[in-house]
Amino acid sequence: MLEIKNLKASINERSILKGLNLHIKPGELHAIMGPNGSGKSTLANVLSGKKGYEITGEINFEGESLKAVSVEERAQKGIFLAFQYPLEIPGVNTNNFLKTSLNSILKAKGKKELDTLSFLKLVKEKSSELGIDEKILSRQLNVGFSGGEKKKNEILQMKILDPNLSILDETDSGLDIDALKIIAKGVNSSRDDKKSFLVITHYQRLLEYIKPDFVHVLSDGKIVRTGCGELAEELEKTGYKKIN
Amino acid sequence: MENFEINSDQIDKIEKITTKEKDFRVKNLKLFQAAGFPNKNLEDWKFSDFKNIINNNFEELKCKSHSETINKLDLIKDFEHNYIFLVNGNLYSNNFNYEDINKIKINSYDKSLEHQKTDNSLIHLNHALADNGFSLEVEKNYKFKKVLVIYNYFSKNIKNKILNNKSKIKLNENTELHIIEYTINETHNKFINNSYENIYLCKNSKLRNIYLQKNKSEGFFYKFVKNQLSSNSNYLNFIFSSGLKFNKLDIECDLIGENANCNIMSALHLGKDEHQEIKTFINHLQPNCKSYQKVKNVLSSESRGVFQGKIFVKDIAQKTDAYQLSKALLLNDNAEFNSKPELEIYADDVKCSHGSASGSIDEDSLHYLMTRGLTRENSSKLLVKGFLNEIIEIIKSPTIKKFVETKFEEQIYGH
Amino acid sequence: MRQQELEKAKDYKYGFTTDIESIRAPKGLNEEVIKFISNIKKEPKWMLEWRLKAFNRLKSIKEPNWQKPKYPKIDYQNLYYYSAPKSAKDKPKSLDEVDPKLIETYKKLGIPLKEQEKLAGVAVDAVFDSVSVATTFKDKLTEKGIIFCPISEAIQKHPDLVKKYLGSVIPITDHYFATLNSAVFTDGSFVYIPEGVRCPMELSTYFRINASETGQFERTLIIADKGSYVSYLEGCTAPMRDENQLHAANVELVALDDAEIKYSTVQNWYPGDKDGKGGIYNFVTKRGLCKGKNSKISWTQVETGSAITWKYPSCILKGDNSVGEFYSIAITNNYQKADTGTKMIHLGKNTKSKIISKGISAGHADNTYRGLVDINKNALNARNYTQCDSLLMGNKCGAHTVPYIKNKNSSSTIEHEATTSKINEDQLYYCNQRGLNQEESVGLIVNGFCKEVLQQLPMEFAVEAQKLVGISLEGSVG
Repeated sequence: MLEIKNLKASINERSILKGLNLHIKPGELHAIMGPNGSGKSTLANVLSGKKGYEITGEINFEGESLKAVSVEERAQKGIFLAFQYPLEIPGVNTNNFLKTSLNSILKAKGKKELDTLSFLKLVKEKSSELGIDEKILSRQLNVGFSGGEKKKNEILQMKILDPNLSILDETDSGLDIDALKIIAKGVNSSRDDKKSFLVITHYQRLLEYIKPDFVHVLSDGKIVRTGCGELAEELEKTGYKKIN
Repeated sequence: MENFEINSDQIDKIEKITTKEKDFRVKNLKLFQAAGFPNKNLEDWKFSDFKNIINNNFEELKCKSHSETINKLDLIKDFEHNYIFLVNGNLYSNNFNYEDINKIKINSYDKSLEHQKTDNSLIHLNHALADNGFSLEVEKNYKFKKVLVIYNYFSKNIKNKILNNKSKIKLNENTELHIIEYTINETHNKFINNSYENIYLCKNSKLRNIYLQKNKSEGFFYKFVKNQLSSNSNYLNFIFSSGLKFNKLDIECDLIGENANCNIMSALHLGKDEHQEIKTFINHLQPNCKSYQKVKNVLSSESRGVFQGKIFVKDIAQKTDAYQLSKALLLNDNAEFNSKPELEIYADDVKCSHGSASGSIDEDSLHYLMTRGLTRENSSKLLVKGFLNEIIEIIKSPTIKKFVETKFEEQIYGH
Repeated sequence: MRQQELEKAKDYKYGFTTDIESIRAPKGLNEEVIKFISNIKKEPKWMLEWRLKAFNRLKSIKEPNWQKPKYPKIDYQNLYYYSAPKSAKDKPKSLDEVDPKLIETYKKLGIPLKEQEKLAGVAVDAVFDSVSVATTFKDKLTEKGIIFCPISEAIQKHPDLVKKYLGSVIPITDHYFATLNSAVFTDGSFVYIPEGVRCPMELSTYFRINASETGQFERTLIIADKGSYVSYLEGCTAPMRDENQLHAANVELVALDDAEIKYSTVQNWYPGDKDGKGGIYNFVTKRGLCKGKNSKISWTQVETGSAITWKYPSCILKGDNSVGEFYSIAITNNYQKADTGTKMIHLGKNTKSKIISKGISAGHADNTYRGLVDINKNALNARNYTQCDSLLMGNKCGAHTVPYIKNKNSSSTIEHEATTSKINEDQLYYCNQRGLNQEESVGLIVNGFCKEVLQQLPMEFAVEAQKLVGISLEGSVG
């Protein structure tokens, strides 16, 4: 699904990722943990194709290099990023936005676009599945949403757009336990042998609800340790300092 | 008074001028004579028809400076300060006892010839006839220890005159100066004061400037101030100068260095037949500069308040942060508030906003206070005070704040 | 269309000319031309006198020059003041009799009259080079006593109404372009809604300039009698030509007691090419008079076209409790210039006005909001709220906000807010990440920025306007 080889990334001549390797197979859920400033969000941004980074190394998605692929094309290919800080876009109705988004992805895949009715049906189905009040979708995109609502909205978008690779950038931070459960439910209910996940988190808490296949520790731009679920628990006890 | 003319022999009466200076004055006089006093057909004077105001208030006008000897300077006793004492615009005496004299240059009026283009006829008149004022320069790395009060004293006998004066303040690198410009009008007669001021702030310099008036008077004032702010310089101007029959402050501020910071704060309370205008023009010419303006007007009986504020942002001035707010409280149906808050922006990565609001005192607030036992009059006074206090509160020094507050109230309520 | 033109037409969807024979008055502005127009319209004598009075006034006044966008001097003697499709000489009585080529033209414009008649239920008065060519739905409107016809017809059939109201809001002594229009206007729409009638459908006019070197001067007069309601839509397009064309229309609205008029415009005149060559000078005077108590006039405009847009749809709030509204989107791209806004003149007690203006500037364009809120002494408890937001795309364009605020009444409240912003890179990135390309993302964000105005438009127009917003900004993001 995703293969990263010796990825280096810098911004404004400050190097952040310093030779990162990662291989995610279809159906796998990988967690990346690490202290603040270790490069977690940069990894998420680079994978989504955000501009402004100097990049060397290889990123292959479903066997193809992503080097010259723009942000929206990556999204159309099925890479979804749940943002750490979802943006507010005033005046833009969330439903409308999501429908446009879904249809451009369907179109790029050569699939039939959804009309409003079937779209709304899909939304209803997915939001009730997650236990999210679909009313938030009739509001302006993220405007006036609480932190929890924004994150839930990201997960609902993930469910609706149905990506192959979902990257969750600290989606758990700042959430209460109920919201956290919704997020976990969103992820767990999507897991199957084709879909992959990259869950970036600072705390082990989320991993109590989402069981990763692998846990990686990112420190100073590199993956310094890889293990299974127990590694996360160990980190929680010892902290990141001991890892190096 | 229908026609106002000045003979060019007025210029001959000015002492000690070079031929070059004389040419400059004659040229400017011609420009003034061609245009006359500005009237409402000019966009900048749309809300303050100076020509009309002068015609309605003056039978005759003379253009001669008025020198006078005073026996005792009536100084402020509330706090220790340095001072410059101007009598009818003339630099009469000065005292910098609290400072290192070697770091300060003080002279009579600024003779430098301005070549900046303007279509403002009052500036032309000033350039032609100004023979009073002061020039102050602070040497590098010097920070004033005490506040400087500039007494702008107008004597008893002044009548039907138009005074022209020109001043300059230059702060060199790394300097700091706090000024209170304190206007005292002893005369009960009508007169015009037309001043022109140049303020130049070098790198890392800081200027605080408070305009304050001692008492109500029959003065008709116009003041043009040109500020130039170099990088990292900081300018904060407070305007509490109500009490004149007419006052227009025309403040231009060029932010010519990065990270320069310009603040204009005003609280005015206008009474019967008073007309005040604050006009600002903030030029963001370099990136990362900040400007902040807050103008508050309380308009009682037949008064007129005007605010014309313009923010200009040049294409290279990215990351500009500019804000402007004008608010007016109208206490009487014969009061009028006009405003024109203007933005002209050519850079896209900027934060610029302005707001303007005018209306009467909030009935609900009045009601609330009255349920707590206050009379309507006192409730109203309290709310007005609260409205203006927002500006006064920004003054840091407690003594100065107290002084400003007291003077301001004396001026408004006359006790 | 030739290949070359086709290429060019890609940028401006409405930039085709229709090959129709037209009748023109001789070039130039003089009494003879005015008489020619009046004669060909079979106007009564009083109308000609009215025109000549305006023409005499015109000779003594000058073009205003205070606006921000400057333009080269217009040679008024080198323009045609009358141009009409020949086939309209024998006016068609039903759509079937309309020149099929015209029908095709409207189809290209996206207003298939026939379809619209059936589907949308919109009554359309199509004005082609200032001549009304077809008015649909006449019968249905007549039933309710509503008059909706070309103004030339109204002058003949309803002279009392025209005499009473024409020039009552925009007098012939107004400014230069308004006076010019009064002298030479060729046609336009006339609407009268009788007392207590709610117009059952949207009334609509499409304006199109076709002939070259032609000025377009329509005149629209809408009267809403006591307790009536009407919603009126106006759309405009013009073919691409290298020279600038002048459009100086006058629109007068009169609302009597308890009446409401909603006037919506989607203006998409040819804006000139990428280098600023050609395009329409859109110098239009629009003014509404809330004459009666509790009356309401609401202007909504989406201005995406024209080389220069210079107009201030205004409300005179004379009746007590009357309400004026102005909702505007002005988009300028390439070398387009706009100086637009409104005037709200509060005269009556408890009058209210609301102004929402969204200006978007891209390329080398310059966009000015200019407005006046004037609260007079007797306008007790008057209220105004103004919000002006500007969006800049790039640093070669400009945004200018010039509100004039006059408050002469202590019981009134005026609030004005303005902001300037740009499209946030992060917002674009967010949209991109959800699979939208750059232009879709910009369109989406800009439409969001304009939402408060777009939602004022009637349904059919809102869709068109949203698309236009996207099209107008194409190529503005690199």
